[in-house]
Amino acid sequence: MSAPSIEKGINFIREQIDAEVASFFSSCVHCGICAEACLFYAQTGEPKYTPINKVEPMRRIWEQEFTLWGKLKGSLGMANKVTEKDFAEWETLVYDGCSLCGRCSLVCPVGNDISGMIRKIREGFAAAGYAPEGLVGATTRAIEIGSPMGVRLPAVQAQIGHLEKNTGLTAPLDQQGAEYMVLLSSMEIMNFPEYLEAVARIMHQAGKSWTISSKAFEATNSGIQIGVSDLARELVQRVVDAAEDLGVKTVISPECGHAFTAIRFEGPNLIGRPFKFKVQHILEVLDDLRSQGLLKTEGMEDARLTFHDPCQLVRKGGVVEEPRNLLNMVASNFVEMTDHGAMNWCCSAGGGVSANERADELKFTAFKQKKSQLDELQVDTLVTACANCRIMLEEGLEENEMDIPVVGLTEMLAEHLVEDRPKGDA
Amino acid sequence: MSDVSNDAQMREAIGGLEVPLQRALAARFIENVLSLTEDERIKRVLKIAANADADEDQLSSALRSAKAAALDAHARCGTDGEWNDQAGYFVARAAEAAVAPRVRSYGRGPAWQAALNCRMARTAQATETDEDAHGSESQAQYRILNDYLNS
Repeated sequence: MSAPSIEKGINFIREQIDAEVASFFSSCVHCGICAEACLFYAQTGEPKYTPINKVEPMRRIWEQEFTLWGKLKGSLGMANKVTEKDFAEWETLVYDGCSLCGRCSLVCPVGNDISGMIRKIREGFAAAGYAPEGLVGATTRAIEIGSPMGVRLPAVQAQIGHLEKNTGLTAPLDQQGAEYMVLLSSMEIMNFPEYLEAVARIMHQAGKSWTISSKAFEATNSGIQIGVSDLARELVQRVVDAAEDLGVKTVISPECGHAFTAIRFEGPNLIGRPFKFKVQHILEVLDDLRSQGLLKTEGMEDARLTFHDPCQLVRKGGVVEEPRNLLNMVASNFVEMTDHGAMNWCCSAGGGVSANERADELKFTAFKQKKSQLDELQVDTLVTACANCRIMLEEGLEENEMDIPVVGLTEMLAEHLVEDRPKGDA
Repeated sequence: MSDVSNDAQMREAIGGLEVPLQRALAARFIENVLSLTEDERIKRVLKIAANADADEDQLSSALRSAKAAALDAHARCGTDGEWNDQAGYFVARAAEAAVAPRVRSYGRGPAWQAALNCRMARTAQATETDEDAHGSESQAQYRILNDYLNS
């Protein structure tokens, strides 16, 4: 990233204003429905967290530079120009007070993609130097090391060794022509290594070839979270190069919400061409294997459990039925939250919030929304499919003294696989 | 019973133990990697796990301590991960496994889950080196299990 400045920030915001954004601003009817859909507003009650307000600096630039009325006001000296003070004031709204969950976009009666605009305005804030320190550090490490958490290849190899010795299975690195290339998030590598083991066991049972690229194992795209498209593009390109070099048919995005939308939807647009391979979230792959009869499980969980839908998966990715199909294979007492699927409430730590220490107090306040959903259900177990959600849910439950174990869905399915091994660990 | 010398035998031997005994065994596995954490809460959790007569309140309190220790030690999203610190996280997760109630009918039992997390703690500690930490910890666990079964 070159040296930030306010002028550059304003220019970057201006560059983001395309026909789509212009039509969104023109069509906003100020109904306030987006506020009710936002967990940061819902839990704080503070009007500043109204989603459309978070893009107010962008709206002002649009009005002043792209509308007749705005130009007229400007000529009369009535323009309310965006200043450094505005960047300072809005930074916490844009990064701390928004998890890019997309609930506001879903409920907007005129179809404005408000969270998409917040993603765009972050481009300007990052260029102006008003981005959280944690996200800047993560993005720098992602570019320099290949992982926002500084995970290097030897660490991945150590985990592969760990899983190979535990399971007797192989997790092949750089296998040419494999059907699937598995991406991992640093959060999984560091905190939830059982995910990789679960994938190895499932692929083995399904008889599918798979590989991990030594050149691009990381799924997380900090460039998207901080809002720097150039860096996001570079991170996507690494995955694309590795997948095309290995000639894989499908790249599997791991249990990480934003990593999926970054590579699946933003990816081809960022690099300016379609991929030569398919991208699927791990839950889509597992559901395909289920429908082909390649996923054989035994036994049912009788614990009362529910599923927390990762926002990026359901609202942006449309992966709603897949986790439910999979849960129905192994859970006999699955219950839904009041707002679930596409209308699920965010865990409060997506979109880079979890990497932003300054936002901790606010994210725990916002978590009360999830707490109230869980209070209603009184479940024994909470299942999810995103490492970031999982940590946030664990933190939020701990903060609220709620004793509910949180489990990854892929890992839970692997525990039920019909395998040729003793069940002595049960 | 002949000595345990591989994971299949280990899982089978563990599967034959009642849950309180699995917790006690888990505590022994964790003691072997206790030097990888400085969190004093883990020692207190192990005392409860090692006590086959521990009641629900004690287990519940120990679980809260272990969970808190694991959350305090986990690598935060986007931070520069430090594998030596991460070893402490896996020790805390092993302690959590040792005292967690069995709310699900499937999944790993306390001893096996604790054993895997202890191995991961060793792997994390040795991540930047070529040391075969996993193999050495497995062997140590077979010895611990054999001693336990023969005691």
